[in-house]
Amino acid sequence: MRKPRTVFFLLLPLAAVTLLVLAACACVLAQSLGWVPAFGLEEITFSYYLDILRDEDFLRSLAVSLGVAAGSALLAAVLGTAVCAALTVRGRSGGAITYVLRLPILVPHAVVALFTILIFSQTGLLARLACALGLISDFTQFPQLLYTPGYEGAVAAYLWKEVPFVAYFTLALMSGVSGTLGEAAEDLGASPLRSFFSVTLPLSLPAVCRATLIIFIFAFGGYELPMLLGATLPKALPVEAYLAYMSPELRDRPYAMAMYGVILVLSVAMAGLYALLTRRLLRRMGGNHG
Amino acid sequence: MRVKRMLTLLLALAMALSLAACGGGSGEGTGSAGLDLEAASWEEVVEAARGTTVTFYGWGGDENRNNWLNSAVADYVSERYDITLEVVGMNIEDILAKLAGEKEAGTEAGSIDMIWINGENFYSAKENGLLYGPFTDKLPNVEAYIDTEDPETLNDFSMPIEGYEAPYAKAQLVLYNDSAVTPEAPASAQALLDYCRQYPGRVTYPAPPDFTGSAFVRNIIYEVCGWEQFQDMEADYDTVKAAIEPALEYLRELNPYLWNEGRTFPDTSTTVDSMFADGELVMSMSYAPFTVATGIDQGLLSDTTRTFVFDNGTIGNTNYMAIAFNSPNKAGAMVVIDAILSAEVQLSQYETLRELPVVDADKLSQEERAAFDAVDLGQGVLTQAELLSHRLPEMPADLVPVIEEIWLDEVVGQYND
Repeated sequence: MRKPRTVFFLLLPLAAVTLLVLAACACVLAQSLGWVPAFGLEEITFSYYLDILRDEDFLRSLAVSLGVAAGSALLAAVLGTAVCAALTVRGRSGGAITYVLRLPILVPHAVVALFTILIFSQTGLLARLACALGLISDFTQFPQLLYTPGYEGAVAAYLWKEVPFVAYFTLALMSGVSGTLGEAAEDLGASPLRSFFSVTLPLSLPAVCRATLIIFIFAFGGYELPMLLGATLPKALPVEAYLAYMSPELRDRPYAMAMYGVILVLSVAMAGLYALLTRRLLRRMGGNHG
Repeated sequence: MRVKRMLTLLLALAMALSLAACGGGSGEGTGSAGLDLEAASWEEVVEAARGTTVTFYGWGGDENRNNWLNSAVADYVSERYDITLEVVGMNIEDILAKLAGEKEAGTEAGSIDMIWINGENFYSAKENGLLYGPFTDKLPNVEAYIDTEDPETLNDFSMPIEGYEAPYAKAQLVLYNDSAVTPEAPASAQALLDYCRQYPGRVTYPAPPDFTGSAFVRNIIYEVCGWEQFQDMEADYDTVKAAIEPALEYLRELNPYLWNEGRTFPDTSTTVDSMFADGELVMSMSYAPFTVATGIDQGLLSDTTRTFVFDNGTIGNTNYMAIAFNSPNKAGAMVVIDAILSAEVQLSQYETLRELPVVDADKLSQEERAAFDAVDLGQGVLTQAELLSHRLPEMPADLVPVIEEIWLDEVVGQYND
């Protein structure tokens, strides 16, 4: 057992970071309630929240961000689990393949956006290829895949990064379960498919769910991809909030902060859900072994 | 128990920190290095500035301007005044956000001395006390070279300057295309509509609030609705919308023929420029009137590229230099601003960057004027005289964000029935 004092010192760096984050969050919330003394705003009010919640642009932005987050999280969960399952079945849960999986996770989002534009835009590689092959006579005939109000481009770019993330995140647990309980099921006469769907997958689901939640929270608050690959309208919520924050009309600052407040509250709610899931998982694992 | 106590402590500290950051008093800084700038003579200001460092914050997207500032201007002030000029590239929105943050925190000695600014950003910064001033009456070169009665010296986007910023360079919106690709150079709104119909999907403009895109939209409003009525219009959403309705109709009329059918617009003018250079677009636009010459010189544009403006004129504005309210070196900033207003630096700017100078031709000596006239502007551009005879005043700054908002609500992805 370490002495409490050692623990205290070890926690100091974390405490410093946490303090800064909490202070920033408190600042955001204070300003979103209309407390910006530097610009002569000193009246605490919920009216900024009420105003943006009645604003159609804001609601559309919120819908876009929820859509992008849900779309990329769910698709990444399904595809990532499939990749993970394939790797587990083939017994390739370690070694070189995990490095390949980790590569997209390491590439920054802005770079992924650049790749996406280079490949999928109307003057991108695919369009040029189609032109060279005579499939289209002019690049304007190439379908516009990016900058669409449906944000397909942003979702695609998220998938490229997050499918490997789900696979990597789930791999350790799934290969563990598959190697022990899954094999036991097969020894008892279950077919490999049956063993996977009835034993391995259900037991790995908590990891998949947690990975999905992480992606959801990230994509919901993510700025770069929707900014670089999204439409002029509707804008994703973080883009809309940033633009409002950058508006030369400094007294509109509380509106921007109210948008950030909404992002903050929803993200914290998701994080709470994540904590709940983790605790349930731990309890279940405890139950299995005890 | 221990964990809980630590959490409580953390929370309490966080609250205290954020209160300090959010609350904070705002202190007006006075002079640098203990010098009372209001009362000081120019010699004393120059003396106080000697041996100091001045930071100059502004848009850093123009590599040529950055190089010019770091060489020509930096050498000039270092030789004459022993001042080190430190140029920091930053978007004006970020600069204002940074200043606003410093003001909230009550930072008396900030990190920014000079700012490259104009228009609605100047208006807002001045309104919110983010700028130091008035200071221009102190500068000898304002008296020596600037036309103090010129509307663009008195007002910035129709908002009174009152000595809070000094002119830096003049800009004017121009359009350009490649005569080898499209022989037409649409010189009116109607001609532009025909042009877009002829080259569907190959024309677009940057989405406001991009600086150039926003100016283009205002220029279309001038084309369709005239410019005079806006000079004293109230910045009210419904008033402005009613006044610009015909222009909105025109912009919606353009939409089906624009890139991506007007459902999406490129986010910055840089994107539009590179799409034009790439051949994806047949026309581009710039707020730097001699940009084509520079582009041809650098091999980015073909030498058949040419600049044109609308027959009724395009919007011109002056951009300015201001001093941050909490600049740690206001004396140094004043000396550098004064240096940039000199005929020598303005000529260098005209020669190197091909930016319209702000000096008054009538105040130049014979030799100085000859030097300005001798500057070779390069290929594909309009002369200074052609530009100035097609120059329209900017709209009042407070209308700009309103128009940008209306554009988002009424133009993007919308079509006339």
